[in-house]
Amino acid sequence: MSTVPNNLVTGASGLPLQPRRRMMAPVLRGVIWAAIGFLALNTLVSQVDPGPLHSYVNQVSVVFGWMGAVIGWVFGVGAWDAVVKPAFGYPLRWKETVGWRRFFEYSTDHKVIATQYMVASGSGFIIAGIAAMLMRLQLMEDHLWLFSVPQDYLETVGIHGTIMMFSLATVFMVGGLGNYLIPMMVGSNKSAFPRLSGLSVWFVPAGILTVAFSPLLGAWTTGWRGYEPLAASDGNGIVFYYLGVFALLLSSLFVALNLVATIVFRRAPGLTWNRIPMYAWAMLVVSFLNIIWIPEIMMAFVLALLDKIVPLPFFTAVGSPLTYLEMFWLFGHPEVYIVVLPALGMWMEIMPVMSRKTLFGRQWGIIGLIFVMLLSGLVWAHHMFPTMSDVEVLPFSFFTEMISIPTGFAYMVVIGTLWQSRMRLKAPSLLVLMSMFNFLIGGLTGLFLADPMVNMQIHDTFFVVGHFHYTIIGGMVFSGFAAMYYYLPKFSGRMYNEKWAQFGAYWMFLAFNATFAQFFIIGLRGMNRWVPVYPQYLQAQNFEISIFAFLLGLGFVYNIVYILWVWVKGRKVESQNPWKSKTLEWYANPNPEEDNFKEIPTVLTGFYDYSDDSHPIAWDPTS
Amino acid sequence: MRDKALFFVLWLIFSAICEWLASLIGPHFYFYVASVQAQEGQNAAAFILYMAVPIFVFVVMMLLFALFRFRARDDSIQPAKSQIKINKAYVGTWLGLSLVFNLFLFVHPTASAAQAYFNESMAYNKSPKTLIVDVVARQWEWRFSYPQYGLTQTVDANGNDFLELPVNTPVKFVLNSYDYNHYYDPQIDVIHSFWIPAFGMKMDVIPGETRTEYIEPTKISSTTQNQMLRVQCAEVCGPGHPYMEANMAVVSPANFAKWVAQQKKLEA
Ligand code: HEM
Ligand SMILES: [Cu+2]
Ligand SMILES: [Cu+2]
Repeated sequence: MSTVPNNLVTGASGLPLQPRRRMMAPVLRGVIWAAIGFLALNTLVSQVDPGPLHSYVNQVSVVFGWMGAVIGWVFGVGAWDAVVKPAFGYPLRWKETVGWRRFFEYSTDHKVIATQYMVASGSGFIIAGIAAMLMRLQLMEDHLWLFSVPQDYLETVGIHGTIMMFSLATVFMVGGLGNYLIPMMVGSNKSAFPRLSGLSVWFVPAGILTVAFSPLLGAWTTGWRGYEPLAASDGNGIVFYYLGVFALLLSSLFVALNLVATIVFRRAPGLTWNRIPMYAWAMLVVSFLNIIWIPEIMMAFVLALLDKIVPLPFFTAVGSPLTYLEMFWLFGHPEVYIVVLPALGMWMEIMPVMSRKTLFGRQWGIIGLIFVMLLSGLVWAHHMFPTMSDVEVLPFSFFTEMISIPTGFAYMVVIGTLWQSRMRLKAPSLLVLMSMFNFLIGGLTGLFLADPMVNMQIHDTFFVVGHFHYTIIGGMVFSGFAAMYYYLPKFSGRMYNEKWAQFGAYWMFLAFNATFAQFFIIGLRGMNRWVPVYPQYLQAQNFEISIFAFLLGLGFVYNIVYILWVWVKGRKVESQNPWKSKTLEWYANPNPEEDNFKEIPTVLTGFYDYSDDSHPIAWDPTS
Repeated sequence: MRDKALFFVLWLIFSAICEWLASLIGPHFYFYVASVQAQEGQNAAAFILYMAVPIFVFVVMMLLFALFRFRARDDSIQPAKSQIKINKAYVGTWLGLSLVFNLFLFVHPTASAAQAYFNESMAYNKSPKTLIVDVVARQWEWRFSYPQYGLTQTVDANGNDFLELPVNTPVKFVLNSYDYNHYYDPQIDVIHSFWIPAFGMKMDVIPGETRTEYIEPTKISSTTQNQMLRVQCAEVCGPGHPYMEANMAVVSPANFAKWVAQQKKLEA
């Protein structure tokens, strides 16, 4: 491996490599090709289907135009030269650039791809966060004042939920951190399918922009579930919801295929199944969930799209109105574990290192991950208790309550590790503790929701909104920040300042709890979801919740800006491995110009024994 | 050993304190309870709250122990004294307790409360005393009719849809979603959710299906007195969803009879 110069595309099966023609910046070319693709296909379809009532851009043509745009975009950023043409036998002319430019074009380097994922996903967070701020601004009053019609508010809710879920929650810790860390963790120089992976990331910006610009087609009011039968009679923007989410899911599906193959087939010698790191286990389990459930929801979206544009009334009142909801949640519940399992894996990764203590009950941590994965397919209907007839409810209640057991194993493992440890209180460990606290509240409030009788009161109220923000933000977002602080010295070679980082952590933690704990209360007081207009008696509390929500928004911005600042300007670290961690990513080279490992290491022991300073691989500290 | 003893004692103390706090909050979990069913839900919620408290205290105390007691006091990186990899007693207890806890919760209050509600539904359904209210949900209106009294659309003084119920009398709501203005286009009917916060019960209204909800109101009040007593659509159903709300009142049987007579006159 080390004999091949690494800025060569080695994945292209031995085709002769020729110098790249001079070309315009790939992103710019992507945008232009996307515009051409859209115009070409949209015009074609409009012409073929010249219904007298059709405008130039109509429901059907826009779907095809969108496909043209996405293909143009992905081809333009590099897929045309680096994937498509070589596949037809043309010489490979694509040579990956070095320096900052390589982050703005198709690449096969997993570190570059992962960085692209993190930036794209982080941008989604900002966009959807702005939407959240607008919602909270509107909710400060009990009547419409910021938005002029309810559609605008509902559409903002939908965009917020959709972009948060499908571009941040599902993506950041998998496409981002997973792509970065997994090849390193398993001791490989590249992922299993580097070209697929290089393609997949470009669907994320396409998807985010599609959803964000959905209002261009007309307001849609269904929220992030895009649910039928409302969607069928709803505004046309829903078309961009289906398409945008489709693109984002496609990206996650590619990531999943790549990660599974990498973990299963590209492990270094000696890295047996017994020694696979916890985060890699989490990625494996999550990727299985993705591979099983993403195709399912994609098919549901295709049907719903046809329902809308043809129209084929699968899910309207003359079809089967509940089927879409069942199909959505069949994916939707595994989805929430797709979001949270990486966080649990990250706890088990960070805590033994920070507490200098052997990971406790490692096998139980893995068993927990696997059983959550299995059970998560059996609980979907708890999202629909008031929709179902009474007799169907109890089995789902049962599995919902049972799934807390394997989820609890993550707590058992981390708590067991912390017990009588030597816990170093640094920003990453602090954030993991905060994440454990928040997710605990998310889990315990889930007990109330799992009970059908109580559920009938709090379903569709802000109690639920509080519950899932506690699990997603509390679990995934806090762990994501923990991981970013933890891996900053690896990613950037620079170290953050403990005071500034912990200040940021406390800020988020306090603002988060002050905001979302009140969601439970206001929900119980009768605040239902999806309403920009609500009874006057709830106004005072909503007003004050919004203030805390703004503080929380600022807290997120503070931490993101600080991390970015450290990434470029922070103090250089002396040691490649400041936490003295034993997992392989800390022995790997983070420089995207170079291979992870000059020589593929042979793993000699497991990674989680912190009773001494020995290395899990033969390690020459001078190298 | 000392850590364990300390933890255990503190856990007992804090659990007791938090249980006491929970016993203050628990009975008011629902804020306003105005039906037999809401009271049952309220009891179930309070019970879950009491059950959750020791777990909450346990985990939070563990986090605090990590923060304060097990925290490294200096920056040097050295192994912790204990390097225990597994403790069968701890794992076994954890597993056993979480299994028992969840199974217990499933039996009570999950299954028991659901069973109570089924039993009430059956009893109300059979009882000749039960008041039947037909509820039609459409984009965006609740419409109420009382087939036993021949009332087709009950309204308040301003002509807005209005629901009135006699106190301590079982009610059977028959829920349908269709638009009586253009029932020839069933394509556009959507799902709504029939929710009266004070009654602690909610039921989605599905196009093409008929659902029922059984309630026995226990308090005399009205939307004007308490906004928790309102008919609210809880499932997003399009732009008009925030406005899909109707006022209501629970009155004495005598007043209810007067109201029915008055509505009859209106409809005549
Ligand atoms: C600054 C932080 C945030 C605030 C203040 C916030 C606020 C809100 C509010 C008020 C709603 C309910 C809107 C309604 O029903 O009327 C909502 C819905 C939602 N939020 Fe957030 N949110 C935040 C961050 C997040 C994050 C990080 C995620 C996920 C990663 C997320 C996912 C969702 C989802 C999925 C919905 C449901 C949307 C729907 O009903 O279709 N939110 N958010
Ligand atoms: Cu409605
Ligand atoms: Cu509604």
